[in-house]
Amino acid sequence: MKWVVWIEKLGQEHKELVGKKCAHLGEMAQMGLRVPSGFALSVNAYKDFMRLSGAGEEIEKHLAGIDLRPENLGAFKDVSRVLRGIVESKKIPDELEDSILSHYRELNERLGMRDVAVSVRSAGAVSHPGQYETCLNVKGETDLLEKVKKVWSSTFNLVSLTSRSRHGLPLESDPIGVAVLKMVRAKAAGVLFTVDPNSGNASRMIIEANWGLGESVVSGNARPDLLVLDKATLKPVEKTLGTKESYIGFDALGTKEVETPENMRRQFCISDEEAAELGRLGKVLEEHFNVPQDCEWAIDQDLVFPMSILLLQTRAEVVAKQKDPVDKVLDMMLSRMGT
Amino acid sequence: MLHPAYDLSFYEFDDEKDPQSYGVLLCDVVHGKPAMKPLYIGIGWYWYYSGFRYGSETLFLPTTRGWDSRFIQGYPYITAIRTTEEERREREPYFRQKIKPFLQDFDAVWDGYKKELIELYTEAKESRGLKDWGDIKRLTNIELLSFFLDFTYTINRKEGEIHMIMMMASYYINGLFQLMWKDLFGRDAPIDPDFGKLMSGFENQDVKVMRELWRLSRKAVSMGLEEAFSGSDREEILRLLNENERGKEWLEEYHAFLTRHGWRCERMHAYDTPAWIERPSLALNRVKMLMKDEEFTFDTERGRIILEREQTEKSVLEKVPAEVKDSFEVLMKAAQRSGYWSEDHTYFCDFYVGALGRWIVTEFGRRFAQAGCIDSAEDIHFLHPDEIRKAAIPMGKVDLRPYVQRRKEAWEANSKIEPVPFYGDISQAQDVLKSDPTLSVSTQVPIVREELKADLYGAAAAPGVYEGRARVIMSADQLPEVEPGEILVAPGTSAAWTAAFSVIKGLVTDGGGALSHPVIMAREYGIPCVAGCVEGSQKIRTGMTIRIDGDLGVVYIKA
Repeated sequence: MKWVVWIEKLGQEHKELVGKKCAHLGEMAQMGLRVPSGFALSVNAYKDFMRLSGAGEEIEKHLAGIDLRPENLGAFKDVSRVLRGIVESKKIPDELEDSILSHYRELNERLGMRDVAVSVRSAGAVSHPGQYETCLNVKGETDLLEKVKKVWSSTFNLVSLTSRSRHGLPLESDPIGVAVLKMVRAKAAGVLFTVDPNSGNASRMIIEANWGLGESVVSGNARPDLLVLDKATLKPVEKTLGTKESYIGFDALGTKEVETPENMRRQFCISDEEAAELGRLGKVLEEHFNVPQDCEWAIDQDLVFPMSILLLQTRAEVVAKQKDPVDKVLDMMLSRMGT
Repeated sequence: MLHPAYDLSFYEFDDEKDPQSYGVLLCDVVHGKPAMKPLYIGIGWYWYYSGFRYGSETLFLPTTRGWDSRFIQGYPYITAIRTTEEERREREPYFRQKIKPFLQDFDAVWDGYKKELIELYTEAKESRGLKDWGDIKRLTNIELLSFFLDFTYTINRKEGEIHMIMMMASYYINGLFQLMWKDLFGRDAPIDPDFGKLMSGFENQDVKVMRELWRLSRKAVSMGLEEAFSGSDREEILRLLNENERGKEWLEEYHAFLTRHGWRCERMHAYDTPAWIERPSLALNRVKMLMKDEEFTFDTERGRIILEREQTEKSVLEKVPAEVKDSFEVLMKAAQRSGYWSEDHTYFCDFYVGALGRWIVTEFGRRFAQAGCIDSAEDIHFLHPDEIRKAAIPMGKVDLRPYVQRRKEAWEANSKIEPVPFYGDISQAQDVLKSDPTLSVSTQVPIVREELKADLYGAAAAPGVYEGRARVIMSADQLPEVEPGEILVAPGTSAAWTAAFSVIKGLVTDGGGALSHPVIMAREYGIPCVAGCVEGSQKIRTGMTIRIDGDLGVVYIKA
């Protein structure tokens, strides 16, 4: 029934309680790896918010009157707008709000800051890559509460609703955890694959990096720097300078896309030394979880190496493989059925 | 209006509601003729239709929930229970998972099921101390009833379910391979000799049984028993063999063969045709026929056929575009195995269960007739399972004649009529067939190509060209008439006809799809075959010289 838990108290056994992202961050913290400080809102926090605020009931009532079928995209758009409106208009019940704010205040105290900037991220018990919202550079109590509701309400965005409908899942809720993490003042950020995802080559690791926050790399908007490391020596065996047309930087509140100055485009945003440290962390993770990992990382501009290198997330890497011929036959069978 | 179906309410045809619900119901001519008797419908087909639904739902077939069936004047009419578009989408991901093992390793799935079936049959016999046909007479009424109930509700059910699951997977795979073939090479698979070659050279159980029979026939020759086999009367052959010591010695070995492989009837599940183990004379004409062969044709041909298949595989694969080569290979392998399965299953599914049923109901028929419940043992075929149950223990106290009488009259009337091909809106037949590839792959219509100026058009079922004397045979009983080197012309063939394949040089059949018995066996024996000619056995007369072209799928009548 716990609503809010400190990240370092969590382990991967808590996936159901707080979602995978939070549980993995906790696991990393317990392994002694550097992750941003912060806390997690449990799946129960979502459920109780929906129940106690009355949002759940209102949503059920609204859905009861509508015939939603996966092919009816237009109807989903309207429903999504209404449902998100319901969630965001509700006040978080006092007790839950107190619990969130007391943790935020303690986070401020721990870091010796006021209104510390945090990221507010969704964490499902199963992965919903790219489905739910992430709010960056969130500052102060009011902003925090608002953004928490926004992440919750993103379970009713169009993609999520249609996806649940397609899979025959109930539309009225999808309880998720939420991670509230100190915002890394990122000089550069990106992803690390502990195995080459394209070839499956396990003797190499791949780093993609851009200036600023990691979102530009994850979203694939700008071509990042690419470093291929030899897994044994952690030395780069291949380096390709990205065009890095733009990167994601901080705004007063939230983030903004910034055009990359010419001189920054022409240099690698990550040093070989930093890359090697990342590689080392990747190997630790891979060994611990026993499967190739896909990690998100950032380099904090205020901290000194190697303290500056932080891990933001890790998950089992999906190694691209040639589509199995049996699956190709199955695709063919289904597409030809009844023709 | 509801049409009576031998008091089997499950199968009554509602001439208003049914065509309205299903669009069209098609007569299952392949299995339905001659008109079925009530016991056949009530046990065998009951579980086959049930198995069809079970299989469809277990495999989550996207477009059909199985067959629905009605009996009209004793003939079965089938239609697909179609799914909606929405259901189809929901079922697809599950279907994908369920069909996958068949594509990955068809044989492994079948081997598992085969083992299950063999254990089921063995256990049913051994647990009751039964081995030979006559042993069943020793059972008490309650033991016989328990065997009957096991057979009816457990063995048949299991066999029906396994049969249909395998059949669906097999037909879906083979059907898809035929579609892919047409896409890639622009030719219909059934009239492409390369396709036939690819499907050849797999040894199924039918061939194994036939090899055993051939060995027995060689043994008979080496023992100097040809004289006993010279007549055409099978019972007479048996009598002659029994007259001398060597004959008896041979019969002992033959009997051992029958205890192993003689559990088979000519018509699956009908229980009204004798099994080999029941009437040992039945397979003697096969033995006689095989005596003409010093070598077992399948074995002498096999090496060549396998080599040809391997060469064809190589040359075909070279023509397949690189991007689909891997999936083509997967599909080809599975399709080859599914073709082999089609013949293999007849032994383990249809025949074996049919013979077990025959065994039990024949004994009940005998006891009921003796106890005065029915007039003659054969009247058992006009009863329902529950009526047998009703009369089994108070033996002699239940009069079963009224049931028999009215159904027998109905059946006799039904047997005289030609069944109506369909009920409902025939324009919907294509949709119904398409919704269930199992229905569509199993039927084959002649592909008429006027430019060939042939007398008959069919499917190029097995490659090769041969000209020779035609021998028209309408039932397996007439098989000993076939002379070496003749072209067999028949309505269709079943495993009971296999012995003929060592003797003939060509085959023409009226029916038969790509996975039908004659087509598969002709390929295995390397005999040119034109299948699905529809009217071959009517147009051709014994003694005519005909030329069959198994590459093009046509027949020319010369004189």
